[in-house]
Amino acid sequence: MVLNCEEEFPAIVELVNIVNFREAMSERSNDYDIAFIEGSISRKEEIRKLKDIRERASVVVALGACATTGGLNCLKNRFPMEEVKSIVYGKDAGLKIYDTIPAAPIDSIIKVDHRIHGCPIIKEEFLETLKSLLMGKTPFTPNYPVCVDCKLAGNICVFEKGMTCAGPVTRAGCKAVCVTYGRICWGCRGLTDDPNISAHKETLGRYGLAEESVLRSFDLYGGYALEKGRGKKNA
Amino acid sequence: MMDFITKKGFRNLAQGLIKDYVFYGPVTKDGFPAFSRIEEFSQLKLSQTPSHISAKGFLFPPKETLLRFDIEKGMAEGVADAEKQVLFGLHSCDVHAINLMDRVFSYGKPDVNYLKRRENTIIVGTECVPDEYCFCASIGTMTVDEGFDIFLHGVKGGFIARAGSGRGRSLLKKYASPSKTKRAALKELERLTEKKKTLFKARLDIDDPSLLPLVYSFADGHPVWEKIGAVCYGCGSCNNVCPTCYCFDVRDEVSMDLKKGTRSRVWDGCTLEDFAKVTGGMNFRKTRADRLRHRFNRKFRYLADRFKGLFCVGCGRCSRTCLVKINISEVTNEILRASKERPLAVPAGKSKG
Repeated sequence: MVLNCEEEFPAIVELVNIVNFREAMSERSNDYDIAFIEGSISRKEEIRKLKDIRERASVVVALGACATTGGLNCLKNRFPMEEVKSIVYGKDAGLKIYDTIPAAPIDSIIKVDHRIHGCPIIKEEFLETLKSLLMGKTPFTPNYPVCVDCKLAGNICVFEKGMTCAGPVTRAGCKAVCVTYGRICWGCRGLTDDPNISAHKETLGRYGLAEESVLRSFDLYGGYALEKGRGKKNA
Repeated sequence: MMDFITKKGFRNLAQGLIKDYVFYGPVTKDGFPAFSRIEEFSQLKLSQTPSHISAKGFLFPPKETLLRFDIEKGMAEGVADAEKQVLFGLHSCDVHAINLMDRVFSYGKPDVNYLKRRENTIIVGTECVPDEYCFCASIGTMTVDEGFDIFLHGVKGGFIARAGSGRGRSLLKKYASPSKTKRAALKELERLTEKKKTLFKARLDIDDPSLLPLVYSFADGHPVWEKIGAVCYGCGSCNNVCPTCYCFDVRDEVSMDLKKGTRSRVWDGCTLEDFAKVTGGMNFRKTRADRLRHRFNRKFRYLADRFKGLFCVGCGRCSRTCLVKINISEVTNEILRASKERPLAVPAGKSKG
């Protein structure tokens, strides 16, 4: 998504000096002020790398669902790591290079200053965050559920259409794009700061979901947060 | 003015307005009534029950630019764009809601953006029947006498068309060939209105709704707030579908070179967690119960005191949209029950309800 900012890059490079961008350039320097970090943590050596970045950068921004919530990768945390490895790598699973730890968002290891949520992220939100940081302004990150974005978009509620969705407990900011195009919200932007999980379980039950499916419906992106107790207040 | 227009006259009216103006009216979206831009007559689907989201967004858009600025030049200029537009197929409650919004946006320093759009908006109302959440009959908004240009009531062979403004009268003449309404049609309308009163499943247990501000003034400690606060998502849907919720947030956006920008307002809602949060992270209404109590008080008490009129028009949209079944008429009835157990000091001359 960041690489899709072709139109904005000329203006961006007038304002900042990009020194390290693994997917876009070969030169690398470790002298930087702002670090955007993508991806979840799933290997021990990444912990060291993360801490190193945190020491160098004055501002750390988690970029994308994997970095902010742990993402889909956290689904593997339900199984023992040995089992996960053998499913994926078969007889090579024992090799050191495939060592893995339960997946986690980066703020489980280091302090994160700002978050750009979503899978995928929204280009405009990345640009807004960058601009806000350059102006010394706190980037705007919605802390309200996707229901707000749905109403602003004029959508008929997914539940009215006889389906269920994660929207009522999921952080908005996506303009409810999935629902607008006829699908449901899967929760890719993670939970809001204070989601009413027990209410949502009850709602899903009332709309015909069995208990196991209710729990599964949180797993896709909200698994790590719930496991660590966010939303527990209301669970 | 009670004119009669035939079905053909109706069609000509709608088609004429669609052709000559930016036209918003009821359509069927995913099988449900919704307001949308309409460019062809065939899209128009008059709905008897309320749209899930009110039509307020056409006068008070979900996101609206208020200001353009240039940081280098130190320049800022107001933006107030308002095309001539038609809002077609509003129900009585919706027109009442717009009359309330007019008061809000004219109060104090008049809101140029809203008022300019309002002035450029032709409103055509249509008759309705209540769904399971409607309770306008309990709140005095089942019929409407002002705030529209034309109001249409379906009767045998066509519509009774009431013109609510000079503009409405000329539009009827221009497009719909109105004729004098026959006595039988007027009788039929009377009958239909009487029948409508019997169709409500939801109602408020109060005879005189003007006492609701007083009733609510004793309800701050009522247990219902904790009860509904426990199940509330804090999702703001009740605010966003409401035709009289007008709160907004103001946000600035700048160009990539950080030199120019715009200031916009975006719908906000008092049931959202961050609504009453201030610098430093303090929150005036931390719990969902606090926030719901605030919203209900805005509808039935605070704004009624300021603007002399209840800010709930009984459309039932908030009850319908609420996934955890917080129902505005049921909550109000719970409060009314408590007030009956402990009678209020009622001003002289008013019934106790």
